[in-house]
Amino acid sequence: MGKILIVDDTLFMRTLIKNILFTGGHSIAGEAGDGEEAIAKYQELKPDLVTMDIVMPKMNGIEALKGIKAIDPGAKVIMCTAVGQEQMVKLAIKSGAKGYIVKPFQAPKVLEEVKNVLAS
Amino acid sequence: MSEFEAYRSLFVAESRENHEMLVRNMLILEKGGSQTAIDEIFRSIHTLKGASASMGFMEMERLCHTMEDVFQLIRSGSAVISADLNNMLLACSDIVELMLDDVEGGGDSSSVNPDEQVKALKKWLSEHTGKPIGEGAKTAGTQRLATSEKITEISDDTDRPRYLITIRVADDCVMKDIRALLAIGNLESLGTILSFNPSREAIDEGNFEGILQLKIASDVGEDALKTAATGTDIASVEIAPAGNDEPVLTSGVSDDIKTGETDKKQQSAGADKNREIKNLRVDITQLDHIMNLVEDLVINRGRLKQIAEQNKIKELDEAIGMVERSVSDLQSLMMNIRMIPLNHIFNRLPRVARDVAQYDGKEVDFVMEGGETELDRSVMDGLNDPLLHLIRNAVNHGIEAPDVREKAGKPRKGYVKLSAHRDRDNVIIELIDDGAGINVEKVKSKAVEKGLISKENAATLTTEQAVDLLFLPGFSTADTISDISGRGVGLDVVKRSIEALKGSIRVETNPGKGSRFELLLPPTMAIVDVMIVRINKRRLAIPISSIVEVANFKTDATHRIGTSDAILLRDEVLEIFLLDDMMGKSADREILIVVQYQKRKCCIAVDIVEGKQEVVVKPLSSIIGNTRGVSGITILGDGEVVPVLDVNTMV
Repeated sequence: MGKILIVDDTLFMRTLIKNILFTGGHSIAGEAGDGEEAIAKYQELKPDLVTMDIVMPKMNGIEALKGIKAIDPGAKVIMCTAVGQEQMVKLAIKSGAKGYIVKPFQAPKVLEEVKNVLAS
Repeated sequence: MSEFEAYRSLFVAESRENHEMLVRNMLILEKGGSQTAIDEIFRSIHTLKGASASMGFMEMERLCHTMEDVFQLIRSGSAVISADLNNMLLACSDIVELMLDDVEGGGDSSSVNPDEQVKALKKWLSEHTGKPIGEGAKTAGTQRLATSEKITEISDDTDRPRYLITIRVADDCVMKDIRALLAIGNLESLGTILSFNPSREAIDEGNFEGILQLKIASDVGEDALKTAATGTDIASVEIAPAGNDEPVLTSGVSDDIKTGETDKKQQSAGADKNREIKNLRVDITQLDHIMNLVEDLVINRGRLKQIAEQNKIKELDEAIGMVERSVSDLQSLMMNIRMIPLNHIFNRLPRVARDVAQYDGKEVDFVMEGGETELDRSVMDGLNDPLLHLIRNAVNHGIEAPDVREKAGKPRKGYVKLSAHRDRDNVIIELIDDGAGINVEKVKSKAVEKGLISKENAATLTTEQAVDLLFLPGFSTADTISDISGRGVGLDVVKRSIEALKGSIRVETNPGKGSRFELLLPPTMAIVDVMIVRINKRRLAIPISSIVEVANFKTDATHRIGTSDAILLRDEVLEIFLLDDMMGKSADREILIVVQYQKRKCCIAVDIVEGKQEVVVKPLSSIIGNTRGVSGITILGDGEVVPVLDVNTMV
């Protein structure tokens, strides 16, 4: 069970992820609506794990991931992705993302990935 | 699906925003556009796709996915957006809007069939990528160990133990190659991977069928390696000590590995009771009902106040003071809840202007300002159609064809500006165009031709009066009825709609330079400040917003002009209305109330002024229909029913 920071530019997706994480017994450290906010919130909240959307305004998820990794090389970041974004996800993995979940989110899959990444 | 019901309203609200953003940016793109617009569009479509997929609205997802594919190409610079493509995409965005309507009504977007659009986009895609784009072709497929031709093995001269690891990625995993890369990453941190099958490059390029074999030199032990390789979507990990012999290449590892079947049954986000609710959707009829109750409270507050005054009960006075404050707060809160920014209807208008311009072969720069101005929902509801019509009109009748404009020494591109701002107690919406203006002579002759006025009459009309002819029922200046301006609605209907909202419409025109339509609207229809006056012992309410002055009425200072009386007040000649037919004759007219509507003023002679009051105006339309001169009635504290004067239609 971990403290998780949810990063997505839509309230809809954040709510969806939040509820899935709640059912898995996780607590929510906070939410961020874009990459810049994500980095700021990461520094402030020191979450155990981050779920990171890729396509976002201001700063995309890859840049935010790099920013977070620069602050904390051990940061555990899971990318929120969709079919068609394979290249972006690969880039994210190379930049240090620890996992990915694919939209549309399936609760068991999300929870499994979160559990695995938290344990790693 | 049912677990998702709770998300429906959130989905619709955010998707509508994204849809609006999409259309707005596509229009920007059409004007020349920028990379920012393309990025924004991509983001909007991507979000729409993701959200619809999450909700299980497959038709919507299918359409958005195809649109996303198109924009992926445009965004990467490998294709440019053409006028045809833009039209095609706008048509798609219309379908998305229909789908959102469907979803809002409880559907799942499947009532709208996007086949035609998807097909058109796919055709475009195949033309621009050279390969047909299949749907979801990547997801299914049997696992196969790639039999790469050459597998290179890195030499490891340490004497660490070596292991052969076979990792099978689950069949239903999306992006199997990335799972493989993650496993590789984890293993690499524990040792040196000596060889890969398939090769790392192949996996990087997406050529991965589900089984990865690798040889690793590591001294952390079998268990640790197994743990590192295990993870989400990893169906199995086999590990065995390996010799220094040949690199990994085992074919025929194609047993069917069925996993995730049970998972699928439980897929979907579980509903959760801990969810914080910050936004609430309320049925509009309920809101109206609450509003009615607040109105009743306002009326009864006035009544209580009067009783307290008459009976001089101090305690009651204090209690009423408290009630009054609560009622006032409640009232303003209700008003705020009902207020919506004009953007709500403004947002779709650029699209209308564009469509009309394109249909007519005109070039138009459509600009909007003041969309943040707020209006009561009830006013907003009635405003959409009149605005649509006026914009169609401005582009269709106002703006000239590019060549004509050029000849007249104007820029080819016409300019239409819609703006809104708050002016005292009113909201003013302006629509300005730099088109040909209204041809007054043509309007006059048309009116004569249609038998609306006589020839002699027409000759005496001022420009302003002639322009007013446009608002007569059955008037249409267009020689032919076009598809766009059509719909059989004339300016008379626009005027009636605006008047039904207690607003008014005015036109100014400058031949050759353009026209200006001005809509004056009350921000809310329900509660207004009025001055209560008496004529012939009967009470009448006049909205404070239209009163500019209260003066003494000296009967000897009046002049007879034509059929009516007028008075010279502060160097202005003002017509005097006695309202005899409405209130009856009165001999003690002592006060003049000067009212103003836009720049025109007149005055109403009354007996006495009783005072100022906040009242609830109830419409008459449902009882006796709209009555010119009276905007509604109100019930005062003592129960008297008093008409509220509609100054706008009087002046």
